[in-house]
Amino acid sequence: MSVEKYLKPSVINQIKRLDLRAQFVVKGFLHGLHASPFHGFSVEFSEHRKYSHGDDLKDIDWQVYAKTDKYYVKKFESETNITGFLAMDLSSSMGYTYQQELTKFDYAICLAASLAYLMISQQDPVGLVTFNDRIRQSLPPRSKRTQLGNVLSMLSNLEPDGKTDFNQSIEQLASMLKTKSLVMIFSDFLVDEDETLDALYRLRHSGHDVILFHVLDEAEVNFPFKGVYKMRDPESGEEIKIDADGYRKSYLKEITTFRDDLAKNCSRSGIDYVPIDTSMQFDTALVEYLHSRRARG
Amino acid sequence: MTWANFGILGIGGLLVSVPIILHFLFQPKPISVDFPALRFLKQKQQITRSRLRLKHFALLLIRCLLIALIALALAGPSVASSEFGNWLTLGGVGTSGLIVGLIALVAYFRSNKNWLLIGVLGVAFLGHLIFGGVSIARIMGSESTNLIGDTQAPVAALIVIDSSPRMQLEYENETRFDKAKAFGQWLLTQFPRDSQVCIAATDGDSPFFSVDVGAADRRIAKIETSYVGSKIPSAVEKGLETLKTSAHDRKEVYVLTDLTAESWTGESSKKLARQLSQNPEYSLFVIDVGVDQPNNFSLGQLQLSKVEISTDGDFSVQTQASRVGPAAQRTIVMQVEKVDPSRPVVRDGKTLFSEEAFQPQSKVVEIRENGSTSTEFNFSQRLEAGTYHGSVSIEGKDGLAVDDRRYFTFRVNEARQTLVVHPTNVNPNLLLSILATEESIADGSNRYEYQVATQSEFVEMDELDLFDAIFLVDPKPIPETVWTRLGGYVEGGGGLGLFLGANANNNGVADPSFLTDDAKRVIGGVLDQQWFNETDDLFLSPKEISHPIFKPIQGSETAILWNRFPVFKHWGIIPDATVNDDETTSLPTQTLLQYSNREPAIVERTIGSGRVLTMTTPISDFGNPDGRKRWNLLIRTRPVPLFLLLTGMVSHLVQTDADSLNVQVGQVSALKNDLSQNPDSYQVFSPIVDKPPTNLNSVDGQIRFRFNDSPGHYRFRGVFDEQVALRGFSSNLADEATNLTRIGPSELDDELGAGRYQLATEKNEISRQQGTTRRGQELYPFIIIMMLVILGLEFLMANRFYA
Repeated sequence: MSVEKYLKPSVINQIKRLDLRAQFVVKGFLHGLHASPFHGFSVEFSEHRKYSHGDDLKDIDWQVYAKTDKYYVKKFESETNITGFLAMDLSSSMGYTYQQELTKFDYAICLAASLAYLMISQQDPVGLVTFNDRIRQSLPPRSKRTQLGNVLSMLSNLEPDGKTDFNQSIEQLASMLKTKSLVMIFSDFLVDEDETLDALYRLRHSGHDVILFHVLDEAEVNFPFKGVYKMRDPESGEEIKIDADGYRKSYLKEITTFRDDLAKNCSRSGIDYVPIDTSMQFDTALVEYLHSRRARG
Repeated sequence: MTWANFGILGIGGLLVSVPIILHFLFQPKPISVDFPALRFLKQKQQITRSRLRLKHFALLLIRCLLIALIALALAGPSVASSEFGNWLTLGGVGTSGLIVGLIALVAYFRSNKNWLLIGVLGVAFLGHLIFGGVSIARIMGSESTNLIGDTQAPVAALIVIDSSPRMQLEYENETRFDKAKAFGQWLLTQFPRDSQVCIAATDGDSPFFSVDVGAADRRIAKIETSYVGSKIPSAVEKGLETLKTSAHDRKEVYVLTDLTAESWTGESSKKLARQLSQNPEYSLFVIDVGVDQPNNFSLGQLQLSKVEISTDGDFSVQTQASRVGPAAQRTIVMQVEKVDPSRPVVRDGKTLFSEEAFQPQSKVVEIRENGSTSTEFNFSQRLEAGTYHGSVSIEGKDGLAVDDRRYFTFRVNEARQTLVVHPTNVNPNLLLSILATEESIADGSNRYEYQVATQSEFVEMDELDLFDAIFLVDPKPIPETVWTRLGGYVEGGGGLGLFLGANANNNGVADPSFLTDDAKRVIGGVLDQQWFNETDDLFLSPKEISHPIFKPIQGSETAILWNRFPVFKHWGIIPDATVNDDETTSLPTQTLLQYSNREPAIVERTIGSGRVLTMTTPISDFGNPDGRKRWNLLIRTRPVPLFLLLTGMVSHLVQTDADSLNVQVGQVSALKNDLSQNPDSYQVFSPIVDKPPTNLNSVDGQIRFRFNDSPGHYRFRGVFDEQVALRGFSSNLADEATNLTRIGPSELDDELGAGRYQLATEKNEISRQQGTTRRGQELYPFIIIMMLVILGLEFLMANRFYA
C-alpha cells in the first residue's frame, strides 16, 4: 500500500495518535518527493566536506576523522539550520467544518505536527505558540528528538476557543523571537484584514520569514449550501437568515477577492501565502515549506 | 356560468385562508449552521432578504391558488356551450398572464436587471390584464349566464318541420316527412315538465305555443306536406318571434329537415343567421332526416307548342325526364281527358273526375345515371270547343312520387276575329300569312280569321267590337274621329296593332293627325322625328325577352341574327306625360323592343282592358314600295325573326288567356270570362279529392283563382243557358320544388354561422347535445390541468426553498 494515501485528510483522520499522523504524512510526502523537483533533497543534511586551507580548525569533525582518518568540517551545519515557530490560531472559528473529516483546527494541527516532525528530522529547532486573543501557550524551539514529543503533546491537547486578536498575538510572538526565525502561522484569518497585514508586516520587518497557512473549510471556499439557512458566526454568535442560492455567487466572489488580496499583499512584503482548504492533501503545505527552506538554505 | 356544488366554492374560499395562516404560524424553518465566514455574507443580506420574502409570498400565492383551484374544480363550474370558447380563451390568457407576471418579477429581482426585458414583460402583463378584464366584462354582460345547470328547468322549444314536397321522398318504407314527424313527437317526450312547445312548419301557417305537450303532439300529427309556403329559415324566423314571447329563460330550436339546398338557401337564410347571432342564448339543433343518395325519377316542366287550338288543331308536348340514381329505363305516358259534362261531381265527400280519356300515348326512354332525356308527344284530334286537361307521367314507383306526373290544360276555340287595315299602296300579305294560311283555313285549324279593309273603308266602319284585334299597317293620316273610336275600342278590351311607316310622313315629320290628343292617347306618346341610318348597322336589338310578345322566340333568341335584318329609317316616340298621367284608365307606355341605337322599336300602351302595340318601322316594305327607298330589310328571304315577332304580337293583342291555363303552384290563374258567353259564377274543384268545391264569381270580366296550392287540374264548373260550362287550368310544381340536391356542412355554416348550431341525425345524438347544452360545458378538466401546472410550480419552489 502506498504511503502517499496518508496525505489525504480522510485517511489521516482514521489515525488517532498525532505522532503517527505526523509520521505518516511526512513519509507519504517524502515518498512522493522522488518524482518531484525536490528529488535529491536530503533530510540527512548534516553536510561534511574535506578540510581545505583556511577553514577554522575548530570546525573539524573529529568523530569523522576518527572513523575515516580524514579531515572533514561541518561548518555549514549551523548555517543551514532554521529555527521554526509554529503559530497556531486557537479561535473558535478554527473548530469549524461543514462536511469534511477534519475541522480547520484538526487540519492545521495535523499539518503543524507534520512540519514539526519534518523539521526535527532535519535537526532544525522548532517551537510552538498558540494564540487567540493573545498568546496562550508557547514552547521554545529545540532541535532534540524529545522536542517533537513536546510539540505533539502540546498540539494534541489544544482546543479551539475564543476570539482572535491577531494583532496583539503577533506582537507578543515577535517579542518572544530572539533569533531570526521562520514563523509558520496556521489560521483562517477571519479577522480584520488590515490589522492582520500590519502585524505580519511588522514581523517581517523584524527579519523573520513568515509563511501563512490560510486554512479554510472546504464549505467556506466552495459554499455548497442550497436553500434557506440560518448561519451563525461561532466567534461572535451573530446570526443571519439567508437563501443560499441567492448568496452563492456574491459570496464566492467575496471570498476569492479576500484570498487574492491577502496573497497579493503577502507577496508584496515577501511573505509566503499558502491557501489551503480542508479537502486538500497535506503535501501542498509541506511543499511550500520546503520552498521556503530551500530559499533560506 | 353555473355551479354543480356552489357551497363548496364558499368552503373553498375559507380554505384559501389556511395556507395564509400556516404561512404565518409555521414560517419556513431554515437550517441552522455555523459559518465562520459570515462577514462575507452580510453585504448581500438586505437584498436577499427582500427576495426571500418575495419568494415566500409567491409560494404562498401559489398554494392559495392551488386550494382555490381545488375548490373551483369541486364546485363543478359549467358554462354555456356557446360561451365555452370565451371561457377557454380567458383561462388561456389567465395562465399566460400568470407566467408572464412571474417572469417579470424574477427579471425585476435579478441582480443584473435588464430594464428592456422588464419593460416588455410589464407591458405584456398589463395587456393580459386589460384583455382579461374586457373578456370577463363581456362574458358577465351576456344574458345566458343563468341558462344552464338545472337540466330539469322548463324550456321554451320551437320545433320546425320541413313540410316541402321534397319531404315526401320515401326511403326504407318511410317518407322523410313521416320520419320528421316521428322525430318531433319523440322530442316532445324529452322536454322537462311545464315546458312550452311551439310547432311550426314551412306551410306558411303562423306558429303558436301549444297549450300542452299533448296538443303539440296532435299539431304535429296534423301537419301535412305543403306545395306552397316558405323556406325553412323563414319559418324559423317566424317561430323565433313566437319563442321570444315565452317567459322561460332557456330557449331551444329544433329544425327537422332533409337539408335540401332549396329549403335553406336564399336571402331569408341570411336574415336568420343575423337573428341567431343576436340571440346567442337560443340553442339551435338541426336534425337531418334526409337521404344522402336518393333514388328518383322526375319530369320537368311541360312545353306545349300551343295551348289554344282550333277544333281541328294539333299541338305537341315536350318534357325532360330526369334521373337521380343509376341509369334506368322508364315508360312515359301522355293522356288527355275527354270532356264529361257530368263531372266533376262530389259523391260521399269525394270528388269524382272524368274517367274517360283519349287513347294514351307512351314512350320508353333510357335515362343515364343522374342524367336526363327529352321526350315529345304530338296530339292531333278533332275536338269540340272547350277546355281539356291532360297529363304526362312516368310509369312505375320511385322515391318521390310528386314529380312523376305533370299536368297541362289546353283550350279548343272557334277562330278569333281580326281586321287588317291598310292603305292601297301597302301590301299586308306578311301579316295575313301569319293570321291564317290558306291550308289552315281549308282544314279548319286556323286560330284566327281575318277581314281585310283599306284605310278609306276602315274610316267608315262602326262596329269595331266585332273584332278581337285590329291591325293598321303603315296607315296614312287618320282623322281625329277615328282615333277617338280606336281609343274607345281599345279601352273596351280590343287589341290594336299599329305599324307605322312612310305613310305617316309629312315632309320629313309626322303628319299632324298623328299628333292630336286622341292619337297621343292611343299611341302613348308623341311621334318624334324620323331616324335615318344609311349603313347596315342599325337593327332590332332585343334585351329583355320575358314579355309575352317574345314567347315565340324564347329559347332560340341567341340563334337569331338580328343584324342581318337592318333598319334604315324609323319613327321616334317620346312618351307623353299628359297621357301617361291618366292612371285611372291606362298604364304608362312601356318600351318592349329597341333598336341598336336604343330608340324604341315596339311600345305597348294599355288603356282600360285593351292594349296597343306600336311598331315604329313598317312590316310591309318589300320590293320597291312607291319608288322610294325601303325603310328596312325586315322582309327578305326567310324573314323568320319578324315572323316570330309578329306571331307573338298578334297573340298578345288578341288577348288569349293562354298564360293562365298552365301555371305553377301558388300562382294566380286569371281567365277571361265574357258574361255574354259564360256563367258569372263557378264551382272550383281542387285536384285533392277530399277537398270540397268552392265558389268563384266573375269580377271585371275575369275569374281569378288564388288558392292554387296543389299540383293537378283545377276544374271550374258553371251553368250558362242551362248548359254546363266547364273550364279550368293546370297547376304544376316548379322544377326546384323537387330538387333533392343537399346542402353541405360548409354551406350550412355559411347560412347559420359556424358553431352556432348542432347537427344531429340520431336520437342519442340529440340527447347528448341537449344534455351538453342544458348542463353547459364543464370546465372541470381544464381546472384540473391548471391545478397540475400550479402543483408543479409549487413543487419546484418548495424544493428550492427547503431542499
